[in-house]
Amino acid sequence: MRNVIVYVEHKAGQTRKVTFELATEARRLADALGGKAHAVALGAGAKSIAETLKNYPLDTIHVNEDGEVDSYLLDPTIDYMEALAKSVDSAVVLLPNTMLGRDVAGRLAARLDAGMNSDVTDIRPEAGRVGCIAPKLGGAQITTCAFKEGAQFGVVTVRPNSFAAQAGGSGAQIVELAKPAGKTYRMSIETEVEEASGEMGLEEAPAVVAGGRGLGGPEPFETLLRPLANALGGTVGASRAAADAGWVPYSLQIGQTGKTVSPNLYIAAGISGAIQHKVGMQTAKTIVAINRDASVPIGEFADLLVVGDAFAILPELTKLVQEARAHA
Amino acid sequence: MKIVVTVKLVPDTNATKRIDPSTKRLVRTGLETVLNPYDEYALEAALQLKEKIGGDTTVTVFSMVPETGKEIVRKALAMGADDAVMLSDPALEGSDVWGTAVAMAAALKNIGFDLVICGGLADDGSTGGVPGALAEYLGVPGVTNARHLDITGDALKAQRETDSGYQVVNVTLPALVSVTMAVGEPRYPSLKGIMGAKKKSIVAMTAGELELDGKVGASGAKTELLEAAAPAARAKGQIVTADDGASGAKIIFDFLKEKKLV
Ligand SMILES: Cc1cc2nc3c(=O)[nH]c(=O)nc-3n(C[C@H](O)[C@H](O)[C@H](O)COP(=O)(O)OP(=O)(O)OC[C@H]3O[C@@H](n4cnc5c(N)ncnc54)[C@H](O)[C@@H]3O)c2cc1C
Ligand SMILES: Cc1cc2nc3c(=O)[nH]c(=O)nc-3n(C[C@H](O)[C@H](O)[C@H](O)COP(=O)(O)OP(=O)(O)OC[C@H]3O[C@@H](n4cnc5c(N)ncnc54)[C@H](O)[C@@H]3O)c2cc1C
Repeated sequence: MRNVIVYVEHKAGQTRKVTFELATEARRLADALGGKAHAVALGAGAKSIAETLKNYPLDTIHVNEDGEVDSYLLDPTIDYMEALAKSVDSAVVLLPNTMLGRDVAGRLAARLDAGMNSDVTDIRPEAGRVGCIAPKLGGAQITTCAFKEGAQFGVVTVRPNSFAAQAGGSGAQIVELAKPAGKTYRMSIETEVEEASGEMGLEEAPAVVAGGRGLGGPEPFETLLRPLANALGGTVGASRAAADAGWVPYSLQIGQTGKTVSPNLYIAAGISGAIQHKVGMQTAKTIVAINRDASVPIGEFADLLVVGDAFAILPELTKLVQEARAHA
Repeated sequence: MKIVVTVKLVPDTNATKRIDPSTKRLVRTGLETVLNPYDEYALEAALQLKEKIGGDTTVTVFSMVPETGKEIVRKALAMGADDAVMLSDPALEGSDVWGTAVAMAAALKNIGFDLVICGGLADDGSTGGVPGALAEYLGVPGVTNARHLDITGDALKAQRETDSGYQVVNVTLPALVSVTMAVGEPRYPSLKGIMGAKKKSIVAMTAGELELDGKVGASGAKTELLEAAAPAARAKGQIVTADDGASGAKIIFDFLKEKKLV
């Protein structure tokens, strides 16, 4: 396995930070394996995202603005990815461990008869093999899983915020990726509805301000959490109790049956820290909790638990952060 | 219409989990195991469709699981599934996503289906890769993360969640879908359901019936577990009581400043 391919998740040319993290890691991995670093962007906006990606240390960026990629479910994407993986030969494919990334990964791994390692937080190339480090079993075990000797392809989904993005490099070449011939598709997208367009980056936000049942209703998510999240350059998340109550969409839920996040800072307001919530956020670098009750489970693993009323603390904290930013 | 729901046996979230250093497999003895939480939603979606479509619609549960895992299949039957198929074979132990999808596809082709419904993520391996891979090997359209399903004849309309909302997707059956929790809270098995489940059929299937050509088990896998270890425990942090909003905010702000987070 020598060459590395990055799948670029984007929407009309808008991508996530994780794409740049993958582009940077692809270079390191390709150098260690003695291969090249490729990226592929498909569908409307592919060319504009490719221009941005030129600032990262890739060798080649493959693009095709094929409208079928946007109108059909994953089938056209998988056809392009399969063709590319086979043409650059012996490849490790890196994808973000997001809803879309996991989807593409499972399909592509099957198409290539390849092994798959998911939710990977570090990659160690050793003696030509690719070892993937991943927290498994809800974070209870950190595993190192490698593709078997002689495996031609390997598919890896990477947890956002696991690698640092670093611009610079060789000025990649942008090339048109040929459309795979003779395909018809059986699934089509009728409409697409945006419900929470600001939330594209929950999994990779550097700061997450999450609320739970203790907030009592939907309003505090907008009036208390959102301004603090904005001031911290982050976004809003929630516990399942809040999603179940209909206060926020399920797409904001963090935990066992929601999203896994690893931000630099996680603030949990009115969340007790049940095990099912903990498994989705315990790899945050710093955890701060605000809770009325000093004996909640989150006190066992938060770096700081402030015992007090979230309604009183959050607006004051937002002010302090805003002031600090204004003077920075 | 024949709906097949795939269900996995997983360790309970609260259980202490470890991996055997010599076999590199999850130690399952003495471990409390449960029906994978997501798969309860898959079953709920299937039962709702059956109620809506009516006629001769049946819901079959399928699990690739050791024989000792029968209780999760029984639970699914008690919730309302009509019958079950268990693919159990020591040869399957240690399969990776690839081998699992290959084996499951072979079994599902054997069982026959109009619609396969999977959970979104299993609680142990948690790759979320099985549903997509399975659709590929079955050669049918695959819709993941569906939160609402509607079937008219052989036309399936699904609402598929995305990170920023949802898509309305059209597919012709046969097809595969995986679901999210928004399909609705899974029903509890009723006493009648629990009693009735004892009489429902559980068909046993073995790897030998499926011509898997050495693709399953640890030896057939494309990946190999090299190491597993418990992470360093997170140290218990400070707990400080705030007198009022302003002082609480100050405590947090000073802490963030010290950590260079503001
Ligand atoms: C199969 C399964 C999967 C699950 N998946 C998830 C998941 O993915 N994510 C998830 O989060 N949960 C999940 N859960 C649910 C989980 O077990 C908990 O029920 C849930 O996390 C509780 O949410 P909460 O902390 O918001 O609510 P609670 O546990 O009710 O906690 C509310 C907290 O708010 C505090 N509070 C109240 N008022 C104030 C105030 N004014 N100021 C400060 N604090 C206040 C209270 O002291 C309390 O600690 C799952 C459960 C199951 C069974
Ligand atoms: C700690 C641990 C780490 C692992 N890491 C990897 C890895 O990195 N790469 C790898 O290739 N394999 C890995 N495996 C093996 C992998 O878990 C199994 O191959 C598994 O059967 C596929 O799993 P998943 O848990 O990822 O399923 P997911 O893809 O997360 O499951 C999604 C859905 O598929 C269905 N499903 C999955 N498995 C079954 C089943 N056996 N029977 C019925 N329905 C099923 C369920 O409906 C489930 O909700 C790991 C296993 C463990 C225990």
